[in-house]
Amino acid sequence: MLKFLGSRAIASAISLVGLILLVFFLSRLTGDPTGLYLPLDASEESRNQFREIHGLNDPLLIQFFNYLGDLVRLDFGESIRRSEPAIDVVLRGFGWTLQLAVVTMSLVVVFSIILGSLAAFHVGGVFDRIATFFSLIGASAPDFWIAIVAIVIFSVNLGWVPTSGTGTVWHWILPVSVLFIRPFGLILQIVRGSMITALSSAYVKTARAKGIKNKAIIFVHALRNALLPVITVIGDQAAALLNGAVVVETIFGFPGVGKLMIDSILQRDFTVVMAAIMLTATAIFVMNLVIDILYSILDPRIRY
Amino acid sequence: MNRKIHLLLASALATNVAFGVAAQENSVTVVLSEELEIVEPCSATKSNVGRVLFQNISETVTEMDPNTGLQPRLAESWEDMGNGTWRFTLRPDVTFSDGTDMRTDDVAHSLVRMKSPDIACEIGAKFFGGIEITTNIIDEYTIDVTASPAQPILPMLMSTVTVTPSDTPLDSFVDHPIGTGPYTFDEYIRGESITLNANPNYWGEQPTVQSATYVFRGDSAVRAAMVAAGEADIAPNIALQDATDDALDFSYPNSETLFLRIEHAQEPLNDRRVREALSLAVDREAFVGTILANGTLLATGMTPPSTIGYNRDLAPYPFDPERARELLAEAAADGVAIETEITLIGRTNNFANVLETMEALLAMYQDVGFNMKLEMVEVAEWLERYAKPFPEDRGPQLIQAQHDNANGDPVFSMYFKYHSDGQQSGLLDPNVDAMIVDATAATGDERAAKWSELFTYLHEESIADVMLFHMVGFSRVNERLDFTPSIRTNSELQLSQIQFN
Repeated sequence: MLKFLGSRAIASAISLVGLILLVFFLSRLTGDPTGLYLPLDASEESRNQFREIHGLNDPLLIQFFNYLGDLVRLDFGESIRRSEPAIDVVLRGFGWTLQLAVVTMSLVVVFSIILGSLAAFHVGGVFDRIATFFSLIGASAPDFWIAIVAIVIFSVNLGWVPTSGTGTVWHWILPVSVLFIRPFGLILQIVRGSMITALSSAYVKTARAKGIKNKAIIFVHALRNALLPVITVIGDQAAALLNGAVVVETIFGFPGVGKLMIDSILQRDFTVVMAAIMLTATAIFVMNLVIDILYSILDPRIRY
Repeated sequence: MNRKIHLLLASALATNVAFGVAAQENSVTVVLSEELEIVEPCSATKSNVGRVLFQNISETVTEMDPNTGLQPRLAESWEDMGNGTWRFTLRPDVTFSDGTDMRTDDVAHSLVRMKSPDIACEIGAKFFGGIEITTNIIDEYTIDVTASPAQPILPMLMSTVTVTPSDTPLDSFVDHPIGTGPYTFDEYIRGESITLNANPNYWGEQPTVQSATYVFRGDSAVRAAMVAAGEADIAPNIALQDATDDALDFSYPNSETLFLRIEHAQEPLNDRRVREALSLAVDREAFVGTILANGTLLATGMTPPSTIGYNRDLAPYPFDPERARELLAEAAADGVAIETEITLIGRTNNFANVLETMEALLAMYQDVGFNMKLEMVEVAEWLERYAKPFPEDRGPQLIQAQHDNANGDPVFSMYFKYHSDGQQSGLLDPNVDAMIVDATAATGDERAAKWSELFTYLHEESIADVMLFHMVGFSRVNERLDFTPSIRTNSELQLSQIQFN
């Protein structure tokens, strides 16, 4: 296992270096940020001073090696837009995104596994119909539309929850609910399909013949074997959330890393873009490692 | 179990009640469209920064009021000493929120700081570009400020200068602004909110609003919903489609002028008949009340009607496609290459319905015979095409732009937009250059007359740009407030002017 973890860490480090190279040069292709930060009327002298302050007058290769040199000392540079260390800006946003992702995915996993298993046990039954309903909504309704409609109904008309913001636990209800729908619908269907296969297998029939209760058959015997494909999809969906839920963050005023990344790209705030992508990539590498470990726990036949 | 349910319901009810009374007496919540990247007084002319800091935290030397003209603020009076020097006399007994007295050395330091090469101050770059400022402190309350070249409107320019204490660093932005204003900057929770509280030591009258919280929401519909739900009191900037409640929504001229910039050196745009055809081909009236808001004015000049010298006698070009076709035919007969493809460039997200506006303009131009294509570009790419140095091999272009001038004087616009050396000018016209220099140097009625003359020349003789509209903005205001948004709301929001109903 340790050897496997080591090789995965090395592969991840190589990917990260490739990512740094790619993002550094691609982001510079978008152009000079000077015009975005100085007034339209700024003189050429002011523009030159601005470029000098931010090291933009150096040749691109020099800028890259300077950046790498700083990176070795864990100095991610300063945000042009916010005049503070880029890593501080990113960590602040990533904290929000991580909380949102963890809360949402925890609820998604619990509810999709329970409802998906019940739907598979009675195909065409009431749970199956509920599962299909949610899956359809998740697949067909765009996040921003659900979010705005939810605000109008639950905040403006009914006054049950705040429209947006982050002050109390009630502020989390709408954003988490909106984020919940899409991965819930998808994972629900994966659980359902995987469970239908598992429930029709020979060992389940044997368990039934032995008189084991349905609850134990579903949640102890069948579910464990049905979870492998589910874990893969959970990993994909969690990675998407870690990248930031831009629409939800924008609408509900959650200061997460997704909106930060988009804003930073548009504002050519290169240091923040780099720091955000590196942090997110690292988080996704770690999560993939965890998923690999989970595989081996769920299925002892898998050995690394 | 029942007890748990009761607890849950009670808790929900309590929170629900709490939302209803979120707006506390004597405090207001303002919802802005984006978070402040910096809280720096020397960049308080940026609209979102200005709505928090300008005249709330940081006060200016003088104050420009669109209705009453130039007014005293930190300076009680000013006097022209000749040779580009103006003497300002400050109010006594003004203190900063850190308790120190405000004196002339603070004003001198603020003027140096806004031009500091180590920080990119918006005010220094925008209003004092190409102007050298020197100061001479006469005493604690009297200071001479000299501009080179001489600026007859220096007192007006001083209405942009925010005063900070003399120990404010010259090489970095501040993250906790100290000012003399009616409020103190108390807390900034990054990504969430900013809180201001009334300054108990303010030199002027204590404001009615005792505290203000600013929150940030990127989506206009959410900002409008927050006011409707009672979670916020003012949303200074909402989209046309969200301004649906007559009791809450106000429209006001937002000081932005929409136009198409023409670069006169490029064929066929170098021909006056082609430029006239561009103006005649647009059915301006058709936009108002459809894809642009009711109340939008047809423009004849670059600045809004509230600026001095605005020529109200000028009429917008009528919609006359027949005449436009005739002009193009005449130009073609004289060998002008009217078949050359012209690129119409729009800036994405510049204002509500910008794409629809640009598509309608394209259709109108194609209808009269222009060979034209539309490109919508992001702000960064737009800037590269809009400001000098212009890209090589660009070909003829019409660039959609909005220009904001709420300062009351065309000088803030004309040099950059129309002088041959202007950063965004599409003109190379010595007549215009001379007229700008003359008007800039003039004062009083003569100044207004000279600006008026320039507006006429640009509109009727040169046909410098395709002037389109003076735009309106929308704000949503909670009914508990006695506050009417105005042209100033586009760039500032003076909390001390807000009362409660």
